[in-house]
Amino acid sequence: MIVADRKKIPEIRDMIKNHRRVLLVGCGTCVTVCLAGGEREAGIIGSALRMALRLQNRGDVVVDECTIERQCEDAFIDLLAPRVSDYDAICSLGCGAGVQALAERFPKMPLYPGLNTQFMGILESQGVWTEKCSGCGNCRLGEFAGICPITRCAKRLFNGPCGGSRDGKCEVHPDLGCGWQLIYDRAVNLGILGRFERIVPPHDWSTGLDGAPRKVVREDQCIAGLCSRT
Amino acid sequence: MSASATDRVKVIVDGRTAEVPCGTTVLQAARQMGVAIPTLCDYRGLSPYGACRVCLVEIETPRGRQMVASCSHLIENDLVVHTETENVMESRRTVLELLLAQAPDSRDLAEFAAGLGVASTPFQPAAEGKCVLCGLCARICGEMMGRGAVSLYGRGTSREVRTAFDERTDQCQACGACAFVCPTGAVDLATITERRMRPHITDFDKRLSARPCIDLAHPQASPRVPVIDRENCIHFQTGECGLCSKVCQAGAIDYDQPEETVHLDVGAVVLTPGFEAFDAKRRGEFGFGFAPNVLTNVQFERLLSASGPTLGHVLRPSDGRPPKRLAFVQCVGSRDTGCDNDYCSSVCCMAATKEAILAKEHVPGLDVTVFFLDLRAFGKDFDRYYERARTQLGVRYLRSFISRTYEMPGTRNLRVIYTSPGMKPTEEEFDMIVLSLGLEPSASLQEQAERMQVVRNRWGFAQTAELQPLDTSRPGVFVGGAFQEPKDIPDTVMQASAAASRAMALLAPVRGTRVRTKTYPPERDIADEPPRVGVFICHCGSNIASVVDVERVVKRARELPNVILAENNTYTCADDTQKQIKERIAEHRLNRVVVASCTPRTHEPIFRETLRDAALNPYLLEMANIRDQCSWVHSGQPGKATDKAVDLVRMAVARASRLQPLEEDSVPVNNASLVVGGGIAGMTAALALADQGFPVHLVEKTGELGGTARLLHRTLDGQDVQKFLAGTFDRVRSHKWIKLYLNARVDKVGGHVGDFTSTLTTERGPESIRHGVVVLATGATERKPQTYGFGQSGRILTQLELADRLGRGEIALPEKATIAMIQCVEQRTEERPYCSRVCCTTAVKNALHLKERHPDARIVVLYRDMRTYGFREAAYREAREKGILFVRYDTTLPPQLTVGECLRLQVREPSLGRDLQISPDLVVLAAPMIPRADRQELSELLRVPLNADGFFLEAHMKLRPVDFASEGLFLCGTAHAPKFLGEAIAQAHAVAGRAASILSRKKMPVSGQVAWVDPDKCISCMTCVHVCPYMAPRINEFNKAEVQGTTCMGCGSCTAECPAVAITLRHYVGHQVLAAIGGLLGVGTAAAPWDPLYPEQVGVATPRWGKNRGEE
Amino acid sequence: MNDEPVILAFCCHYCAYAAADLAGSMRLQYPGNVRVLRLPCTGKLEVNFVLAAFERGVDGVIVAGCLEGGCHYLEGNLRARRRVERARQLLVEIGLEPERLEMFNLSSAEGTRFAEIATTMVERVKRLGRSPLRPDTKRTEHGIQEIGRQAEAMLAGEKR
Repeated sequence: MIVADRKKIPEIRDMIKNHRRVLLVGCGTCVTVCLAGGEREAGIIGSALRMALRLQNRGDVVVDECTIERQCEDAFIDLLAPRVSDYDAICSLGCGAGVQALAERFPKMPLYPGLNTQFMGILESQGVWTEKCSGCGNCRLGEFAGICPITRCAKRLFNGPCGGSRDGKCEVHPDLGCGWQLIYDRAVNLGILGRFERIVPPHDWSTGLDGAPRKVVREDQCIAGLCSRT
Repeated sequence: MSASATDRVKVIVDGRTAEVPCGTTVLQAARQMGVAIPTLCDYRGLSPYGACRVCLVEIETPRGRQMVASCSHLIENDLVVHTETENVMESRRTVLELLLAQAPDSRDLAEFAAGLGVASTPFQPAAEGKCVLCGLCARICGEMMGRGAVSLYGRGTSREVRTAFDERTDQCQACGACAFVCPTGAVDLATITERRMRPHITDFDKRLSARPCIDLAHPQASPRVPVIDRENCIHFQTGECGLCSKVCQAGAIDYDQPEETVHLDVGAVVLTPGFEAFDAKRRGEFGFGFAPNVLTNVQFERLLSASGPTLGHVLRPSDGRPPKRLAFVQCVGSRDTGCDNDYCSSVCCMAATKEAILAKEHVPGLDVTVFFLDLRAFGKDFDRYYERARTQLGVRYLRSFISRTYEMPGTRNLRVIYTSPGMKPTEEEFDMIVLSLGLEPSASLQEQAERMQVVRNRWGFAQTAELQPLDTSRPGVFVGGAFQEPKDIPDTVMQASAAASRAMALLAPVRGTRVRTKTYPPERDIADEPPRVGVFICHCGSNIASVVDVERVVKRARELPNVILAENNTYTCADDTQKQIKERIAEHRLNRVVVASCTPRTHEPIFRETLRDAALNPYLLEMANIRDQCSWVHSGQPGKATDKAVDLVRMAVARASRLQPLEEDSVPVNNASLVVGGGIAGMTAALALADQGFPVHLVEKTGELGGTARLLHRTLDGQDVQKFLAGTFDRVRSHKWIKLYLNARVDKVGGHVGDFTSTLTTERGPESIRHGVVVLATGATERKPQTYGFGQSGRILTQLELADRLGRGEIALPEKATIAMIQCVEQRTEERPYCSRVCCTTAVKNALHLKERHPDARIVVLYRDMRTYGFREAAYREAREKGILFVRYDTTLPPQLTVGECLRLQVREPSLGRDLQISPDLVVLAAPMIPRADRQELSELLRVPLNADGFFLEAHMKLRPVDFASEGLFLCGTAHAPKFLGEAIAQAHAVAGRAASILSRKKMPVSGQVAWVDPDKCISCMTCVHVCPYMAPRINEFNKAEVQGTTCMGCGSCTAECPAVAITLRHYVGHQVLAAIGGLLGVGTAAAPWDPLYPEQVGVATPRWGKNRGEE
Repeated sequence: MNDEPVILAFCCHYCAYAAADLAGSMRLQYPGNVRVLRLPCTGKLEVNFVLAAFERGVDGVIVAGCLEGGCHYLEGNLRARRRVERARQLLVEIGLEPERLEMFNLSSAEGTRFAEIATTMVERVKRLGRSPLRPDTKRTEHGIQEIGRQAEAMLAGEKR
C-alpha cells in the first residue's frame, strides 16, 4: 500500500489562497487506509482550510470537498468532470500518482498536492506505518530470507550488517531494527544461513528510479484499437 | 354586588387570558401563567402583606390605569393586568432604590436589585442596616411557628423588627426559620434568643456535616425521595409550621403517612445486611471522640469524596487547614483479642493504601505514614498497587502498632511513640490521624439474623462452611457480602451474584410466572413525513420557571423551523401532562418530540415511554436539560439562563428534526452454556446453571474432573474435600442437563451473546454445539520452584504436595522433627509481582495438620507478611498458641538453604537482627499459583484479555468481577486470580447468577443505538476492527467490515475513526450531531434538508461530496 | 448581539454529563456560557465535530469524559484525548489559539470539578477574546501577521 501523510495547513492554505473556488479531492483507496486522504480527512482538512483562510481575511475562497473511489483511474475521475468547471483549482489528497492523474485529466486546472506521499509499506500497529519496499524493479527478497536489505537496511548493504548493528538495532535510528539482524534471524529459522557464505554481487540498479520514469507493459492487454492509453 | 354564580374569575395578564379561583391574588395568577414578577416580601404559605412594593403591576380600572401590589391585590372578574409596562419598570426601580437606601449593608439585597437592573441608589442611604421591614420574619414566626418571638414594633421611621422589650426571649425555639426566609440577611439569631441553633448531623457524612430536616439519606438513596426527619421536624414536634406542605407545589408532603407492614410470600431469602464499622470510641486511647484531628477511615473517605462535606478537600476538622503529616493506624478493632475481634477485617490494608494515594493527590507534598502489622495485599493486582504506593508515591509503611496518641495543646496535633524493627523508640507528631476501623456485624444485624433463625459464628457473622459459602444454617436463606465475612467490593459483588444464583436454583420452577408485559399501539410509519416537532417546556414547579423565563423560551421555540407546536407545562413528567403530550402528538401529527426539562439520565426513559404510547418510535425524542444544567446552576443570572435555555432548545430541535426511528432488534437466546474447564469452579458453575434448568456443555481437556482440588484433602474449617469432590462428580455425571466432554478441547467459538456456535474436538471426533454464554474456568497450577534446591531432595516439598501427602497419610517424620516452611517463594518478586493469596493460610493449615499428627514436631514458618485475612486470622493465632514458630524475613536477606547430607537453613530475624540456624528434616515451599500454559491460546480463541501476570482480565476489577468486557462471556475460579476453594465456589455460583440474566430470556433486546457499516463505502482498512474494544466489527465473507449489533455497545469509537466515514452510530449520526452544533450558533437550521434513512448510502463509484457546507 | 462567548461542551453520558447534573443538584453556580452536547462516550467525538464547532463560530470547546481507566466503554476517553490533541495541533496550523479546546477527565461524582472546569474555560476564553471566526469578523492586517508568526513558531518548536 502507498503511505502518505498530510501537509500542514499553512502550506496548503498558501498554495490555494489566490484562487476563488477550490475543490479538495480525497481518494478512497490507499490514502484512506493510511488515514491521510480519505473522506474523513478531506472533511477535516477542508474545514481547517476554510478557517485558516478566513483568519487571513480570505473567507471568500470557497473550499469544497469531494472524495472519489480512486484518483488513479480515469473512470472515477470522470465522475468529477461535470462539476469541476465550478472551480478554478483542485487540491488533491491522493498520492503523487493521483495528483498527476487529475492533472492529466484536467489540463487547464491548477493542481496542488495536499499530501506528502511517503513510501510503500504496511500498517505496523494501529496508526503506525513502516516502509517495506523501495520499488527497485528487481526484487531480491528470495535471496534474503524474505526481508529486503535495500529498504530495511539503512545503508542498503548486501553482504551482512555494518559495524553499527547493536543489540539488533540500527545505529541510524535506535528504534529501528537492524535489517541484517532480521535477515539473519529468519535465515536461522529457515536453516539457510549457509547461503550467506558467498558474496552477493552488486545490485542491478538499472531498473530503479535512477533512470527515466518507468513503465510496465502487458502486451496481451494492449490490443490496438481497444486500449486507448499509452 | 351579589355573589357570582361561578367561583372562578377571569383575568388577563399581559394580553393572555386565564381563569383562576376566586380569592387568587394577581401574583399567584401570574405565576400560574408562567409570568415572573419579582418580590421580596411574598412567601408561599404566608399571608400576603404588601410591604416591599417590588411586585407592583398596573391594572386597568374605570378610572384608568392604577398601580397595585400584585401580592395582595385579589382578582375580580375580567381584571386586566400589565406586568412589564415602562411605568411598572420605572416604579419598581424607584422602590428598589429606596430599599437600597434603607438597607445599605445587605449584600443579598444589592444582588437582588442588580438582577433587576438597579446597581445603586440616588437617595441618601441610612447609616447602617440590612432590614427592609418586609415582615417575613415576624409572619413566619407568628403564623407558621405559632411563636411570635419577633414582631414589628413602632410606626413611621421608628418602625423596627425586634423581640418583646427588646430582650432575648424564650419564646424563640431557635428554629432559624426567620433567618431562612429573610431576603436581606438581616436576622441575627443571637439577638433574639440565648438558645443556640443546633445543626442536624448527617449519618452519611459520618457527622462531618449538617443536613436539612427534609433530606435524602444519601445521594444514591433508593427510592430517591427525600424524607422528613420526624425527630427534629417542628411540625411533628409541636404541630406548628407545616411550611413544606404549602411550598411543595406538587402536593407531595403527607404528614399522615403511616408505617406499613408488608407481607411477602417468598421462596428464598438473600441476606445482605452488610456491616458496621467498629466503634472507635471503644479504643479511646487513640483519641477519637475528643481529639478532632483523629478521624475514622470512613470519615476520611467522606473527606476525599468530591461530593462530601469538604467537596473533596482534605482539611483538618480543628482548623480547616490541610494536613502536612498524615498517619494511618491499621487494625483498630481488628486482630484484637482485647475487644473480642480476633479476626482480620480484610479490606483495611488496601483501603488505607488507596486513601493514602488519594490524599497525596489531593494535598501536594503530604507525608503519609501507615502503621501496620502485616500488609495484607492479597487480592488481584493488590501487591502491585501497594508497591506503587510504597516505592513510587512515597507512602511510608511502618511495621509497628502504636498504642496511643497524645493531643498537643495549641496545635491539636497528635504525638505518637512507636518502635519499628531495627529502630529505637521514636516520637513523632502528625497533623491528622486516620483509624482503619474493623468491620463488625452490628447488634441490630445480629438481631435480624436471630429473627431469621440463622446461626451466627462466634463473632456474630452468618455461619457458613468453606465449601458451601453461600448457605446459612437455614435452608433457603442465603448470605452475601460482608455479613458472611469481612470482604472487599469484588468479593462482595461475586458473592451477591452467587447468592442470587442459589436462590434462582430454588425458584427455577416458577421463573417468569409473575411477569407482566405491556402492550403498545403499532408504531406509526413516519418515513414520508417531513419533520413535525412538538416542543414541551417544563417549569418544574419553580425549579426552572423561577430562573428561566419560560414564556420567552416558548416564544423563541415557536420561531424555529419544523416546530409545529411549543408549549409550557408546570410539570411535564406529571401524569396529566404526559396524557396531554400524547393528545398533542395525535392532534398535530407530531413526529418528533423535544422535552426541555431536567436530565435525560433520569427522565429519558419516561418520555420515551410516552412516545411509544403515542405510537411513535421512542428514538424520536430529544431532551434539552434546562434544569440541572441551566436553572439550577445559573440561579443568579436569569437573563443568561434564559439565553442558554433558548440555545439548548434550539440545539435539541435541530437534532430532533434529523432523528430517525430505530428498530430495537431482538435475537433469540439459546439457553445452553459452554463451560470450559472441569475443575471445582467449572463443575460448580455447570451444576449451578443446570440446577436452574439450563443445559450445560462441560468441556475438560484431561480425562478426569476435579483439577487442582484433587490434591486437597481438608479445608481450614475441617471439611473433607475429597468427599465433597466425589459428591460433585456424581452430580455432574448424572445431571440430566449436563453433557460432559472429557479429553476434549474447544477449537472455535463463533457467534455472539445469546447465540454462539462452537466446535469441540472430543474423543468421539469433532462436534459442533450451540450455546448462549461461555464460562471460562480453566484454573491455575502450582509452579514448580526453581530455587531452594527444589527437586534435589525428597525432603523439599511444595505446600500443595505437602497437603496432598498429609491427606493421604504419606508423611513420615522422625521423632522431634523440625519442619521449616518458606513463604513467598518466587512470588511478590520483580518477575512475579503478585501474591498467591492462599499460601499463608495453607501454611497455617498444613502446620496445624502436621502438629496434630506429630505433636512433638518443631515447625518454623518463615514469612514476609502473614496474610491470613478474615477468619483465617483465628487459625494463625491458634497455630502460634500451639507453639508453631513464625519468623519474619526481609527480602534483602532471604533465607539461605544448603542442600547436602542434611538440610541447613539460615535466616536473619529482623527484629533481633540475628541469624537463626535451622537443620530441618523437611522444607516446605510456598510456590506461586501460576496461570495455565494454554492461556494465550484461550485468550485468542475467545478474544478476551489477560493481565500482566497472565490471569484472565475481567470487565471491571471492582464492579464486574465475573464478566468479561465482551457480552456473554464469564470467568470464574483461579483462571481469574489465585483464590481459595470456597471463593472459587462462590465465584462459580456468581457466574451462574450473571449468566442466568441472559439465559432466562427468550430473546435478547439489541439496542437501536449501534454502529452500522455501509458496505458500499467500506474499504476494508481494518481500522474499526483495531479500534473496537469489544471485537464487534469483523470482516465478513464479502471482505467488508460488519458490526455485530449484539456485540456493539454503542460507544461510537469506530465511527469516529473510520477514514472512509463508512460507519455511523445510529442515533448519533454525524449529521445529527452537526445539526445540534449548527443549532447552537443559529446556523444551518433554516431549512433542514430531508434526509433519507441513511443518506450516505450510495453506489461504490459515486463521488462523495462533503457535507460540511451542505446544510448552510 | 452580546459579547458573551459561547462554549460548547461535549460530555460523555456516563461521567461528565452526570457530573454536570450533579453540579446542578448541588446548586453550584458557574458562568452561563457553556452549552452541553451529550455524546454516549467521548469515543464518539469526531475531529470534524470540533472543527465544525469552531468553523461555525464557537469561542471555545470543552471535551469532558470519564477518568482515565474509568471509561464506561473501556477506552473511548483515551481515544478522545488523542483526537483532541490532534485537533489542537490543527488549530495551531489554522491560526487559532489551541487553548480554546481542552479535554478534561472527571468522574460522575465530581460536580464541583465540572463547575470549576466551566468557570476556568469561560475565564480563559474571555481572556483570549471572542473567536475571530464568528461570522462578520475581520482580522486586521497586523492580527493576521501576528497569528502567522505564532503558528510558525509553534510548528517550528514542534519540529525541534
